[in-house]
Amino acid sequence: MDDLAQSVLVQWRVNGVLHELDVLPGLSLLDVLREQLNLTGTHMGCMTGHCGACTVMIDGRIAKSCIAQAATLPRAEIRTIEGLMGPDGRLSPVQQAFWDEAGFQCGYCAPGMLFSAIELLAETPDPTDAEIDSALAGSLCRCTGYQSLRRAVRAAARALKDPNPD
Amino acid sequence: MADRDPGMSAAPATGGYVGRAVRTLEGRAPIAGAARYSSDFSFPGQLHAAIVRSPHARARILKVDLSGARKVAGVVLAMDGREVAAHLGPIPHYIDPATFGGKSAEVRTMAVDHVWCYGQPVAVVVAADRRTARWAASRVQVAYEVEPAVLTVEDAIAPDAPKVVPGFDDNVIMAVPFRNGDPDAAFARADHVVTTTVRIHRFSTQPIETRCYNAVWEEETESLTLYGTAQNPHPLRHVLAKVLGMPEGRIRVHAPAIGGAFGMKMHGHPEESLVCLLAKLLRRPVKWVESREECLLIGAREQVHHLELALSKEGDLLALRDRFFANTGAPSACPGWGMAFLTGLTMPGPYRVRDIDVTMTALVTNKPSWNAARGYGKEATALALELALDEAARRLGFDPAELRIRNFVPADAFPYASPTGLQYDSGDYAGAVRKAMAAIGWDEWRARQAEGPREGRYLGLGIAYELTPEGGALPGTMVAGYDSSTVRVAPDGSVRVLTGVTTPGTGNPTGIAQIVADELGCPIEWISVVQGDTTTCPYGFGNYSGRSTIVGGGSAALAARAVRAQMEAVAAAMLGVGVQALRLSDGVFDGGDGRSLAFADVAWAAYTRAYDVASCITPPLEAQATFRPPNIRHSPDAEGRINPYPSYSNAAYATVVEVDSATGQVKLLAFAAAHDCGRVINPLLVEGQACGAIAFGLGGALMEEIRFDAGGHQLTRSFMDYVMPRAEDMPGVTLVHHDSPNPDTYMGLKGAGEAGVGGSAAAVVNAVNDALRPFGVAIHDLPLSPARVWAAIHGRSGAAGGAA
Ligand code: FES
Ligand code: FES
Repeated sequence: MDDLAQSVLVQWRVNGVLHELDVLPGLSLLDVLREQLNLTGTHMGCMTGHCGACTVMIDGRIAKSCIAQAATLPRAEIRTIEGLMGPDGRLSPVQQAFWDEAGFQCGYCAPGMLFSAIELLAETPDPTDAEIDSALAGSLCRCTGYQSLRRAVRAAARALKDPNPD
Repeated sequence: MADRDPGMSAAPATGGYVGRAVRTLEGRAPIAGAARYSSDFSFPGQLHAAIVRSPHARARILKVDLSGARKVAGVVLAMDGREVAAHLGPIPHYIDPATFGGKSAEVRTMAVDHVWCYGQPVAVVVAADRRTARWAASRVQVAYEVEPAVLTVEDAIAPDAPKVVPGFDDNVIMAVPFRNGDPDAAFARADHVVTTTVRIHRFSTQPIETRCYNAVWEEETESLTLYGTAQNPHPLRHVLAKVLGMPEGRIRVHAPAIGGAFGMKMHGHPEESLVCLLAKLLRRPVKWVESREECLLIGAREQVHHLELALSKEGDLLALRDRFFANTGAPSACPGWGMAFLTGLTMPGPYRVRDIDVTMTALVTNKPSWNAARGYGKEATALALELALDEAARRLGFDPAELRIRNFVPADAFPYASPTGLQYDSGDYAGAVRKAMAAIGWDEWRARQAEGPREGRYLGLGIAYELTPEGGALPGTMVAGYDSSTVRVAPDGSVRVLTGVTTPGTGNPTGIAQIVADELGCPIEWISVVQGDTTTCPYGFGNYSGRSTIVGGGSAALAARAVRAQMEAVAAAMLGVGVQALRLSDGVFDGGDGRSLAFADVAWAAYTRAYDVASCITPPLEAQATFRPPNIRHSPDAEGRINPYPSYSNAAYATVVEVDSATGQVKLLAFAAAHDCGRVINPLLVEGQACGAIAFGLGGALMEEIRFDAGGHQLTRSFMDYVMPRAEDMPGVTLVHHDSPNPDTYMGLKGAGEAGVGGSAAAVVNAVNDALRPFGVAIHDLPLSPARVWAAIHGRSGAAGGAA
């Protein structure tokens, strides 16, 4: 916006690929991911940190990329929804469970729900419904009423415990 | 093409997918981060638009100074409303009130000289990137002379009210009486008359994906492509052609994946034609992405009902009177205002009372406009009726369930002609109520309630019923009852379905694929469904009114049957047997004599052997068909009434809440619904629709509200203020089916998209009022925010709507 704005050089490993980028101060991580790296799987729903559609993982913790200033992350390990799949292009067990259980409808909220589920199940392999609800509560879904999302998280928990049911 | 063949309501020849919980074909892409929504598209030379909006509800524009914006580096264009109006005509109404005897205002893309609502576009700035555009927009200086605003129903109907639309003689855009029988006589002989005033607040659908439009101008052909969040691509193309003064044939509308729509992405919005104009003027792609704050401008649902129920001492509902007013905000070309009409038309819902006197008054005010919102006014019918019935039960000492069951249209009365002219296709309302109560464990909860409150927390039980006409068609509008599909089988046997209905992300392409797979006797994996593109799809009307599977699935079934007949003729010729001897399943034609042919081999022969085995057909393997539900009636009856709906979904809702008397907080403990959406194509999709709609109802009843200050400035501007349900707020929903097939649609389908908003909201309100009985109060003003519930308990103002 401002010709004089001093851009900042950042070094990020995004989904395993190293990037050196000039980012303008004031830009959100969401903007940089979508516009400079063309990673459009991370979505904008509010820009105020309320909806979770922009969720990514920064250095192993989930974060809302709309309220993360890109220039404040000189070095970071970032994972976006595009980076959840295995190298063979197969869905990860959590993703597969969400698909099989029809967890989503439009899927716009997928980044928040998938990353929340992944983080929850990493720490709590056998979550109660209340734990599932509180893990998902950082994200809004307007389509499902959450019932199918809960079912998908339960199925994902089962899949992670027993990777080869047959 | 035949609209309906005798077997329309019969099962397809090959069963298999219909009725099964098939995960959606299109559901993988979003999970992989690979789905492409409108804002994900960018094109070489992409520019971005930002809109300057009025901070006042009603004002004269004295001067728009664009010079500050034009000085910003990176800005390529800045225009005010007057300049834009020189290029763009008025926006045609999706549903013109004048078509129905109302008044239609001329709706411009941007304000010219006069502002009629907070947030109305006043100027636009285009720049190389979005931030620059927004920054430059903030430097546009507008001088206003602020005028007193009309904000409430009471403001709008005051005799000396300022006129929202200059030139109108009042603020009424449409007033319609829905009258039948002799209500005055019925009131005169009634044992009881119960009056209730129900106030439904302004709330909105708020999909997580906001609107986005990206227009691309192609100089060589002087044509335009609009990529955008459009539920109705073909009708939008018509609107763009009119506004821009271009032929429809040179405009393409492409709606990629949509992140939820719920009516909000039906068209008439100013930004649709505005970005097209900007792209045309600049000869570069121009994109606009709505902010959440802008999205929250779009309202819906605000109504005030003054209801009177006439009852006999046995509890028979003898007559219904309802004077209701809808605050539809400023005029808009979007179809939102029509919700008010539907609220009246759907009276008296599932009840068999014949003597009714309902008047609907749709008002314009200086709040921002409405757009369509899931439920489309039918949710307000349910809220008004169900709150009033509970009020009657409370005052007269009836059991709420028994009072309803006594007054329902009985199951043996279908098809049933309602007093407003609707033709209900089927249902068993009493059976559904009993199922919902059993599903929630009603009697056990009642027993727990009788044990008394615990630590100041009071249990309440509520039920409600909702009748949801779906699949609507309004004469003289682009709200059409029919739609079309093309089915193509390629030489390799793969199947492509192109359909005029669209998906807002609900999974209807998979429902359609299930139907086609069964009709063609092939695996569902061979089928791809294409939607949302005016260049490739048959002319269609898109998504609204829970229609997509009824008419999209119905027309695809008819087209698939025609293609199957072609393939059967070829297969029979190849095998030298009669067509009757063939059996088709799992992609194999079985000749009945031990010989068989693969689906793909028959497809190949149909294309390559046109002079021998395929001479009996006209290639290619392709058919287009239209399904026009036969029970929609637009020729008025003796009373001038029409039946705009082919299907009447309905459901009973039961819930248990706990009210904390110390805080006014309402907690949902249990929720059950018994749902009749006709034949179920895919239980996963139906469950998703029902639970999503229930979340809308619960959110609307308890927390979602768009508020304004006394001067008409909108206070609700982010998800901080507009509080929608999160996982922790939603109880588990027990969904049971109580389906009665629709005799007039493909396989007995009814709409499943809209039902649930009003019924679930009403059940919650009734449950809260049940919990408040010990305090002798009931609330009929929505939403039931903790502050309002607390005030009612503690006898403070805010509990208007009545002491019981
Ligand atoms: S866009 Fe980041 S939380 Fe909504
Ligand atoms: S599936 Fe649409 S917002 Fe969650």
